[in-house]
Amino acid sequence: MAVESEHWVFYFDPNRCIGCHACSISCKQFHGRGSDTDDWRTVTHHQTGTYPDVEDVPLSMSCMHCHDAPCEKVCPTNAIEKRESDGIVTINRDDCIGCKYCGWACPFGAPTYGDEGLMSKCNMCLGQGPGSGADVEDTPKHELEDQVEPNCVSDCVGEAIKAGPQKEIIEEASQAAAERFRSGAVANGRVIVEPLQDSTSAVDGRVDGTKEVTTPYNAGD
Amino acid sequence: MCSHNCGQEVTVVDGSVVNITGVDGHPRGSAGPGTEGTLCPKGLGQQDKTHDPKRIKEPHIRKNGELQKVSWEEAFEFTADRLVSFADEYGEETLLDATSWAETPIFSTVWRELYGTPERISRGIHVCAGPTFVTGGMMGVGSNNRVPDYQNSDYIIAWGRNQLNSFAGQFEAKGTLEAIENRGATLVTIDPQHTITAEKSDKWLPIEPRTDGALALAMANVIIEEDLYDQEFVENYTHGFDAYKEAAADMPPEDAAEITGIPAEDIREVARGFAEAAPRAGISVWTGTAQMGNGWKATQNITALNGLVGNIDRPGGLRLWEYASTASFGEVCEMDYTNRAQFKEPAITKYEEYSDYPVRHITDIAHNLVPEMVDNGHINGIVVHHDDPLKDGNAEEWVRAIEEMALVISIDAYWNGVSRNADVVLPEATSLEKDTLGTGNWSAYPNHKWVTGGKAAVDPQWNTKPDFDILTGIASAMAEKTDNDDWRIFEQWDSHEDFIDDQLSTLDLTLEELSSGEKNYELVEEYDYEKWKDNDNFVFRFDLDQVGSFAQAAEEAGMSTAPEWIPPGTYGDSTSDEYPLEFYDVRSVFFSHGSNQPQERLQDHFAKRNDLNEEDYRGNYLHINPEDAEARGIETGDMVTVESKTGSGELMAHVTENARPGFVTAEYGFGETSATPDGEGMNTMTLHDKQMDPITGQVDRHIAVDVKPEGGD
Repeated sequence: MAVESEHWVFYFDPNRCIGCHACSISCKQFHGRGSDTDDWRTVTHHQTGTYPDVEDVPLSMSCMHCHDAPCEKVCPTNAIEKRESDGIVTINRDDCIGCKYCGWACPFGAPTYGDEGLMSKCNMCLGQGPGSGADVEDTPKHELEDQVEPNCVSDCVGEAIKAGPQKEIIEEASQAAAERFRSGAVANGRVIVEPLQDSTSAVDGRVDGTKEVTTPYNAGD
Repeated sequence: MCSHNCGQEVTVVDGSVVNITGVDGHPRGSAGPGTEGTLCPKGLGQQDKTHDPKRIKEPHIRKNGELQKVSWEEAFEFTADRLVSFADEYGEETLLDATSWAETPIFSTVWRELYGTPERISRGIHVCAGPTFVTGGMMGVGSNNRVPDYQNSDYIIAWGRNQLNSFAGQFEAKGTLEAIENRGATLVTIDPQHTITAEKSDKWLPIEPRTDGALALAMANVIIEEDLYDQEFVENYTHGFDAYKEAAADMPPEDAAEITGIPAEDIREVARGFAEAAPRAGISVWTGTAQMGNGWKATQNITALNGLVGNIDRPGGLRLWEYASTASFGEVCEMDYTNRAQFKEPAITKYEEYSDYPVRHITDIAHNLVPEMVDNGHINGIVVHHDDPLKDGNAEEWVRAIEEMALVISIDAYWNGVSRNADVVLPEATSLEKDTLGTGNWSAYPNHKWVTGGKAAVDPQWNTKPDFDILTGIASAMAEKTDNDDWRIFEQWDSHEDFIDDQLSTLDLTLEELSSGEKNYELVEEYDYEKWKDNDNFVFRFDLDQVGSFAQAAEEAGMSTAPEWIPPGTYGDSTSDEYPLEFYDVRSVFFSHGSNQPQERLQDHFAKRNDLNEEDYRGNYLHINPEDAEARGIETGDMVTVESKTGSGELMAHVTENARPGFVTAEYGFGETSATPDGEGMNTMTLHDKQMDPITGQVDRHIAVDVKPEGGD
């Protein structure tokens, strides 16, 4: 097993997110998923206060490819694999039976039920389409030939999203974000998130990831 | 898709677009050299649009009252027949050219020069931001008063703008974020609504709608009083400072605070911050301060601030952006032909029916007056391209006018209020299906002119054609029909690419060179700041008394030529007991004007943005403050009726603290006349009548309304 620092993580800077949903739309298009299917990457807007003392903070989230991957642990058919080389979590749809355990186990409701009665979620664009990537050789994504940057990263208008091996991404993050990540203060150290500037702690708490995140209606119904 | 030209890179498999993304370093789609190019939701939507089965797939002509599919040959022949008989019966000068968003400049050659109509309505000054464009021109900086040199700025004011979501090219959002991150720039937003730009701002001034002109004068008051202005610039390069000084003296921040609702100390703080950062201080301004009856003075007062602090064409200030020098049609056309519109006067100045409208001194037509011109027989037909005048003001009258016109030609990709009512429907290929050449002035490269373009990524889908081929097809049919060989001038080019290469010849480029390799743009010519220093004719005018046409229009409209404060309601609606709310229509990052509403992914994300995606409704939303909603028994997700003195419509309510109490907004471009297939939502301009800025005819989109739960009380 490659060390955690080699594993891929996402990075998000709420200060640079303009809430435009390009990440979410671009993800759907790349993976050829219909408009009515769930978002693998989703943008939510968190409003607090009353006019004119109002804040409305956008937040973009997807599967975080957790180091501890609770979804993998509960999968009865071992359809979910956390790749040893780069930590990307894939779903093999030949083995998936659509039992929804992964959706319940995930604290963020990232795997969702719907595409053909099976689970699907983000695969960091290791392949194109639901279930893709499970058959890709277990060589780190950044060393594979013809690998594309995850679409949500390459199409983020505000350059708020990054993805890559943890040690590289943490270098690009601010010291504050890196410290929060290492201490597990944000989403148990699953995703690197920049602190929100000039904001109240209440709003910042939301952006940290877990408090306001609701499991989608069909994550494990 | 969008006229702002962000570069698109597509992956094509078996003739289908399977992925689309931005072009790194692109002048409009990136933050400049070494930065990633991206696409906003509208740009991403081009992938779906290319293969959208809801598009118009075949040419249609109206036979026995019904639109019927025909071949291109028959469609062109029918078009030519109708154009010839229209000219005989009504006169070619009564055909209104309403072609916008063209990807080729030959539209004006065909309709104006060859067919011979002087009637032309465009977006810019007619329905977008007339006061902003025209004051900029008259004051000496052109329409460059809109987009500052973001990346080099230390102080950016987003004045009635939301450039982080509603941008003219993504570089506007990216440049603003870069200035904040790299230069520690201060961002100030002046807007009655809370937007994402307000959210990211150091300071948001939640201004009372339509009082921007007072705020701008109060800022000038502070800057002049505290000697923070650029005396050298004002003395040597401006005209009318005394009149400006006088108007500013009449608006101390305490008075402006009463009018605008912005505390005097905030006005002082922003005025000082802006003046002290100058010349590295810029104002971004466009439609928000223009689409109101008193928009002329608002924009004049705002643009004047630039002259006052001397940020003109200096790094980080108001940049005098320049276009690349591609060859014009006249330069590349090797055949002589007669310009048949050259000495024709447009109806608005020709006939006395319009003598009460000061706008006739400034522009050749006013959007709101077209239905009246149809009634008077001065406009009898229209050619529309990718635009929907039915959602841009005086909508009910426009709908009636389109039905009454003797000839309606629609060149479009979607069925909408115009194409459904047309006599001829010519289905157009969308941008990835044709060779394109684009340029522009402002970009992420403040010292370079640029061009961008590309060859078609896929063939025209279904039985559609690129606009160049549609227009040359009409021209060939007209040549046959009229024996006028002028219509043969396009025969000198074998293809659109051939014509584009001629346009690029002045830059020593070809389309092939432009679009091959890693990028689809070229930086072509360098230019420096402060070019006005070498221009003896340059003068920045605070007072427009020297501009004869304006002086006359201003006198008729009862306003001064100098900056002054004109209260809301002077030329437009005032709220009342019956209509206590002020309505204004807005844009969203998901839709470009009227063209994109049919895209399902964009509709769905628009619904998600408003947290209403679980509802079975994909129209626009009425954004209303909880205070106003509660008083009317309205909750998020309820259908509501919006009613003005002259019209009404229904849409879904979105109760939000982003909305100012007393001020409701909705995105425009929806409803039965739009391209949304089921017509969900509301055409916001059915609320509108003829309210306008008297100088430019700019549609005044601030309307007094009331809102009721659906079905009334």
